[in-house]
Amino acid sequence: MSEVSAQLQARTLSPRQLVWLRFKRHRLAMASGYFLLFIYTVAAFCEFVSPYGTAWRNVQAINAPPMRVRFVDAQGQFHLRPFVYGYDMQVDDETWVREYTENSQKRYPIYFVARGESYQLWNLFAAERHLFTTGEQGYIHLFGTDQLGRDLFSRVLYGARVSLSIGILGVLLTLFLGVLLGGLAGYVGGLLDRAVQRAIEVLQSLPALPLWMALSAALPVSWSSLGVYFGITIILSLLGWPALARQVRGKFLSLREEDFVVSARMLGASKMRVIFKHMLPSFNSHLIATATLAVPGMILGETALSFLGIGLRPPVVSWGVLMQQAQNYQAIVLTPWLLIPGLFVVLTVMAFNLLGDGVRDAVDPYSTGGQS
Amino acid sequence: MFWHQRQVAAVYRLCSQCICGATLLGASTLAAQEQKWPAAWFQPMQTAAELGIEQFTQSPFLDDKNLPSVAERLPDNPPVVVPLAGLGQYGGTARITPNEWLTFPNMEAPLTMAADMQTILPNLAQSWEVSADGRRITLTLRKGIKWSDGAPLSSDDFLFTFNNIWLNTEYSPVPSRNVEGGRAVKVDDLTFYYEFDEPRPLMVNLLANYGDFFVDPVHYYKDFHPAFTDRETLKQRIADMGLLTWMAFYHAAKRQLIEESAQVPTLAAHRVVSRTPTRVLLERNPYYFKVDPAGQQLPYIDSIDSQQVDNKEVIAAMSSTGQLDFSAYELKTQDIPLLKLGERNGDIRVLVWNRLHSSDVVIQPNYNYDDAKLSALFWQRSFRQALSIAINRDEMNQIIYFGRGTPRQVTAHPSSSMYDPAFAEAFTQYDPVRARQLLDELGLHDVDGDGLREFADGQSLVITLEFMDWETPKAISLELVALYWREIGIDLRLKIVDASLQSERALSNKMQMTVWHADQVTDILLPINPTWWAPISSSRSNTLWNAWARWHLTAGRLGKEPPANMRQLQQWATEMSATVNKQRRIELGKKLLASNAENLWTIGTVGLAPQPVVISQHLRGVPERAIWGWDNRWTMAYHPATWYFASDQAMSAQSVAKQGTSHQPRSSEAVTSDAVVNQTILSQSLVRHGE
Repeated sequence: MSEVSAQLQARTLSPRQLVWLRFKRHRLAMASGYFLLFIYTVAAFCEFVSPYGTAWRNVQAINAPPMRVRFVDAQGQFHLRPFVYGYDMQVDDETWVREYTENSQKRYPIYFVARGESYQLWNLFAAERHLFTTGEQGYIHLFGTDQLGRDLFSRVLYGARVSLSIGILGVLLTLFLGVLLGGLAGYVGGLLDRAVQRAIEVLQSLPALPLWMALSAALPVSWSSLGVYFGITIILSLLGWPALARQVRGKFLSLREEDFVVSARMLGASKMRVIFKHMLPSFNSHLIATATLAVPGMILGETALSFLGIGLRPPVVSWGVLMQQAQNYQAIVLTPWLLIPGLFVVLTVMAFNLLGDGVRDAVDPYSTGGQS
Repeated sequence: MFWHQRQVAAVYRLCSQCICGATLLGASTLAAQEQKWPAAWFQPMQTAAELGIEQFTQSPFLDDKNLPSVAERLPDNPPVVVPLAGLGQYGGTARITPNEWLTFPNMEAPLTMAADMQTILPNLAQSWEVSADGRRITLTLRKGIKWSDGAPLSSDDFLFTFNNIWLNTEYSPVPSRNVEGGRAVKVDDLTFYYEFDEPRPLMVNLLANYGDFFVDPVHYYKDFHPAFTDRETLKQRIADMGLLTWMAFYHAAKRQLIEESAQVPTLAAHRVVSRTPTRVLLERNPYYFKVDPAGQQLPYIDSIDSQQVDNKEVIAAMSSTGQLDFSAYELKTQDIPLLKLGERNGDIRVLVWNRLHSSDVVIQPNYNYDDAKLSALFWQRSFRQALSIAINRDEMNQIIYFGRGTPRQVTAHPSSSMYDPAFAEAFTQYDPVRARQLLDELGLHDVDGDGLREFADGQSLVITLEFMDWETPKAISLELVALYWREIGIDLRLKIVDASLQSERALSNKMQMTVWHADQVTDILLPINPTWWAPISSSRSNTLWNAWARWHLTAGRLGKEPPANMRQLQQWATEMSATVNKQRRIELGKKLLASNAENLWTIGTVGLAPQPVVISQHLRGVPERAIWGWDNRWTMAYHPATWYFASDQAMSAQSVAKQGTSHQPRSSEAVTSDAVVNQTILSQSLVRHGE
């Protein structure tokens, strides 16, 4: 497509299509988008994708290193069906280290979409097929196991579900609070505006981490894991909304005297209708960009709290919980694979930031478009 | 020849009463147990006069310090300690952390105990006597023992701590059970007795285990105590130090928590010379009262540098990289591979002892918890049995302890005369099917289909367990227990609390369930305070029957009247600590333990577990294998005052290594020849004196 024809065509495009075109030119953002799509899909179907549940323990493989998936066996023979070699474990009398050696006698072929441990998908559908499994007779630990012999690969996926959904949920809640309070403050003004402004200032003057810590330490221990999950989400978004509310308020202040708002008001539209139907759509692209950039903050917040031992608690699995268990000298020296969850945090946060960059550039009508 | 292995083995067999073979080992590793303990450790220390030692020498460290001669500083007839590693040499600075303040420095009590955790031996006191009715314990001190400032030790020092501290209503508004109804009475400067309203013959055991907390230099503390100083002056003095009360001052000074600790005279082998918030420096006590068989005044090690490290991970890392010369208190079984990795660098040695804890985790359901429904459920024996057999202890042993612990309930240590293997094994067989069946019979079913059981009326059943993660691997144990219980449908929620919260919530009876480690399980402490098996006391460590214990302690004034079987246990426990008849005591102890084996008042997991002890490559005299725990005061029976650094070269090599340059390990040949020379000197001196 030549430059000229693209521009010709562009004239007939809706603003939405324009944004999409600009976004597509941002390669890194596209790649990040695909990566996030992939990881969110995996997280959504983690029961199916992971070979084991979060509590499943393999006592023969405590702190076992990651396994290698092979096609060629010890005799040099090629197998179309990939396989792993089982471990022989021995506690060294001298060093007390559990030493794992691959035993070529124990060849565990990998079956795809086969029967394994039964589970409840989304707590709704009973199923027992896993994306890949070695069946009853063997075991497969792509990322190794932790100190209780639990499969780290499965736990990373289950953790992804929690950590990633906290990011999205938290941001949605933040958006809701920010838009509602900021919108009302900007639109109504007066006493309400001043009250919201002062609340924002107070909240923003408090250092975030200690406040998170105090709030999450106050979560009662008897709460169920689901309760703690929502508690943490609410805590994260409670501290996230002020910045957004400020921006929204500013926008509203400038918008509320615009002709289209005034006419809507004259026609007798309710406050809520004016805010949500007329004013908000005029800058929702901006909101989307802000939201995308806020997600990694939420994910990092959860990870930080759990890492410090005051966020989510076992048996809930999140990336922060997993990293908390790797938070010792031993993990670094003897079992470095326990740090893999950290890699996922880094990749996800980076992907969100790049995606957010792309979206921001795309929705900005004055940007030159994805030349970052 | 004294050190001959066969002879020592023969001595062992002879006093099998006191050196029960099984005592000294964790049950698992019998083969490695050819530990050659000096037989002298199991008898009262011989004195210099008995051994014909007339010449005494001191460490060069004390030369030119303007001190009286060593013979004048030592008592009239100093007791002689036989070192495990032969005669040592003076010198060196040991690097430790303040957590080891009771384990590395040699503390001194009126009595002490042998490594078998049964035999009580004289120490500061040269003899003791228990009256026939068990109410009076008379002690006679060795003549001429001095505090580290040169002031003589006298009966008054013991009277002060007992009458003016433990029995002081300001210091302890509710007197401890150990001193209640008692008083200390002076006979003369070297003789005094403790007298109680009730028979208290086991005061002797307490004086051996905890005796360093029963003596203080009254000539120092009288300036800081209302019985000796008028209130106004006292108040001013305490305020000047930035403290609120004299009780706080005593507590902090005694425990080396404030600068002024450096002024407090001590009887221990090392005295504090400076104390800052980050560092405690100790030097040898020039008036220490023990000598070695060559007449050298102990201790061998001149000084101790104790640096504050708050983070346990950092302590483990420092231990493994050779930055500490002795470290054990904050180390855990799971740290062993890491420490062993550090051992390869040649700076440290990792010794593996066994903890005496009968179980590393004592799961305590609170029978007096306010929620009647929950406490009634806890009170169901079959509920506790179900919880116990739902725990896969063999798997826990593999996962946490490398298979080197012993799956056990909370009962006596194998060294105890009350021990019975059946008590330890009761309900330890993993049987989840039976556990589920027991819970079904109790009417606990999964009503809402979430895999977790509810009460019979459909109310959700959630147990919250709050605990403090220290001393033993509690967090990982409980994580496993929670998983096992979840498999039988019991929802256990865990919450880690800190020390102050543990005390507060335990004492105010707010905890549904908690855990502690099962110490007080040997013949030294079990009969005094059978705290796991009868509702006779409650504390932050023991909070399963607060109301019943209070009822017992206040003779029915406060608390709740316990059920008949509990009162039976209380009665047995009371009689056990009061009887002077040893056979009767053992019999009662066995009754208590048998009742526990049947009823499982608490639930144990794995005990007698490996305890890493990291020492410098150059430190000598530390036993290869030994028992670690509160009952035997960790190291007290192994005479830390006789531990020493191998040689000057080694020390200088070490200091070079510290500065980060290359480091020549000493050849093993040199070490051996040193040891041979030492042993020869030692055996000669002993043979000559008719040993």
